[in-house]
Amino acid sequence: MSEPTPIVLIVDDEIQIRRFLRTGFELNGFAVHEAGTGAEAIHSATLRPIDLVIVDLGLPDMDGAEVVERIRSWSSVPIIVLSVRNAEAQKVQLLELGADDYVVKPFGMAELLARVRVALRRQSRAASGEPSVKIGPLTIDLAARAVLLNGQRLTLTPKEYRLLQVLAQHAGNVVTHQHLLKEVWGSIHVHDTHYLRIFVRKLRQKIEQNPNSPKILVTELGVGYRLAQAEAETGAWAGAAAPAKTE
Amino acid sequence: MPDRSALRKLRSQVRGTLLTFGLVAITTGVISLIIFSIGLTRGSVLYVIPVMIAAIRWGIVPSLFAAFCGVLASAYLFFPPLYSFRIKDPQEVINLILYVFTAVVVSQLATRLKRELELSRQREIDLRDLYAFSRRLAVAFDVSDIHAAIEDHLASVLQRKVVLFAGAREGTAAGRRKGSAVPAQVQAEVTKALSAREAAAAIVTGNAGETWLVRAVSPKSPEFGVIAIDFGHASQASVDELRVRVDAVLADATATLERLGVAHAISEARMRAQTDQLREALIGSVSHELRTPLASILGAATVLSAAPALRNEKKLKALVHDVRNEAERLNSDIQNLLDATRISSDGVTPHLEWADPADIINAAVDRCRRRLTGRRLDLNVPDDLPLVHVDPVLVQQALVQLFDNAVKYSPPGSRIALAARARDGRLVIGVSDKGAGLTDAEQPLIWERFARGDRHAANTSGSGLGLWIANAFVAANGGKMTATSDGPDRGTTVAIELPVTQKAVTQLESDADE
Repeated sequence: MSEPTPIVLIVDDEIQIRRFLRTGFELNGFAVHEAGTGAEAIHSATLRPIDLVIVDLGLPDMDGAEVVERIRSWSSVPIIVLSVRNAEAQKVQLLELGADDYVVKPFGMAELLARVRVALRRQSRAASGEPSVKIGPLTIDLAARAVLLNGQRLTLTPKEYRLLQVLAQHAGNVVTHQHLLKEVWGSIHVHDTHYLRIFVRKLRQKIEQNPNSPKILVTELGVGYRLAQAEAETGAWAGAAAPAKTE
Repeated sequence: MPDRSALRKLRSQVRGTLLTFGLVAITTGVISLIIFSIGLTRGSVLYVIPVMIAAIRWGIVPSLFAAFCGVLASAYLFFPPLYSFRIKDPQEVINLILYVFTAVVVSQLATRLKRELELSRQREIDLRDLYAFSRRLAVAFDVSDIHAAIEDHLASVLQRKVVLFAGAREGTAAGRRKGSAVPAQVQAEVTKALSAREAAAAIVTGNAGETWLVRAVSPKSPEFGVIAIDFGHASQASVDELRVRVDAVLADATATLERLGVAHAISEARMRAQTDQLREALIGSVSHELRTPLASILGAATVLSAAPALRNEKKLKALVHDVRNEAERLNSDIQNLLDATRISSDGVTPHLEWADPADIINAAVDRCRRRLTGRRLDLNVPDDLPLVHVDPVLVQQALVQLFDNAVKYSPPGSRIALAARARDGRLVIGVSDKGAGLTDAEQPLIWERFARGDRHAANTSGSGLGLWIANAFVAANGGKMTATSDGPDRGTTVAIELPVTQKAVTQLESDADE
């Protein structure tokens, strides 16, 4: 984060939550704006440039989904949603509406920061048009349609490559089952999760060191899959990358 | 119905008469045999035997018939002049009188005896019914149990199809069992009777032309509900007769109900249900309210623990660490309460999808990583496990409870093992520890809500909800749970069993890859 200070907009009606988020973000080199309601958030997002939005779903004036939808209607700013447990269907809905990721309350600051960094990196990669994604030993060269593991080229079937490609386009973020099924098998198969399970298993055999305990292609139960953080996110954040750890 | 019973009576009379005739014939044969072989002359007194048998077995008409036949036969065969019905001997007249007298007296006696027998048998049945009824009332836990008991009792006493409708609050048929449906007309009348709160009885004709009686069980106690009785296709006269009987039976039943304190039991059960509801609502809202501040506490603690100002403050960092750990523990307790509320108030609706067991296991291990610190975790997960059709989030949460228990009830640093395998159409995921184990007495109790072993109450914290929740979540996915232990302090293995449809899975493999 050597670029200008990233600005994050925190949308939550609980002042205590906003306070610890503000402190946490400021300590980590972010500038913070706050909004207590959905309307305020939308207004605030139109007023000034914002690099990232964090939205709590339990807002007093409007549904969190509506906030996501309205911001998405004009902006591609990364949005991370603060969700609650046992709300997988809601998470899927928000991801489909354009949220980039979610964190389950209660959460630790490290976990949220890890998600934030991934979202910001993806944004900058999209802006710069970087053609390859690197996750640990795995490199996905989207321009050359090639997948390398420790520098060795892997042979993938077209469907396996397509699956990896869609995930790589969202590297670090969750991609829902429905989205993957639609992109790889077509929209009539959006409910055939077993296709995904079988292909993910085959893909893991090829790309994971221990396919039974995957580190690259990780599962978000009941929601989808994500390609783990790109290689810079090691050390302090590696542990926090585990899904929903402090849930 | 009455015509049918008259017919049955007539048929038995005819049969009795025919059999009597047979008996008389046999007696005639025996008498002839005696007269001709031994030379006795006065054998005709033996005709009293068929008379008595007929009187005892078939009543007065066949026995009089026997007497008449006996006299005719002896007049014709044994008394001079032979082969003529004329009677010279006054002895014969006396015989006739004797037979008739015997027939009347014995048949009267027999009838009375039979009636008394029937009465005592009926009384025995009634008593047994009543006993069964009161026993059911004693174990009835809620209002619908009590109503079902009343319904069955009335049905067995009246020998008719009976449907009992509880008060308007319960709305529907108390029994809500198979065959408790009533025609719409009857339902309408019942609704009227339930809201009218007065004991007007009404006769309703059902779809198939059958007659129903709808009336309050008791005019005094509306909590006993409204009853609909199917009279079938009965004539006006028999309906009236039945109504009188229903009145009598219901008066009896109501007296019994009152004596047994059923009204009290019903209101008590109702109160219990309301208390339960209130408790669930309270737990639900309290835990919900607690979650928001907890999110702030936990979040703030994580910010503090990473704050540069505390980097060299070991003691302060340890404090923050404690805050975080305790908040996390509180959080998992609250989650348990919320889960328990969810299970008992709305029930659990699984969102079924095809899931890879390895994914579920990994997610559970991930979530327990902090709690498993300092433990050796052995994972034995074959890489060819079949896919399962479950709600993966629920199964994962059940697994987390197993890890939680394993950590809680085994010594620090001891080994915890997870083994998954597919066998006989089931997927079994077992979590074993080297801990406290189970005594024979504890074994059946662990699945109960708020179950806490006495051995652990003092030194381990917990709500006793964990396994109960896990079991409910697994059951919602069509699975079941088992617990085995070699005994106290010899470790426990708790396993989740989920159904696997092997055929579906192999078929899935082939059609995914087109």
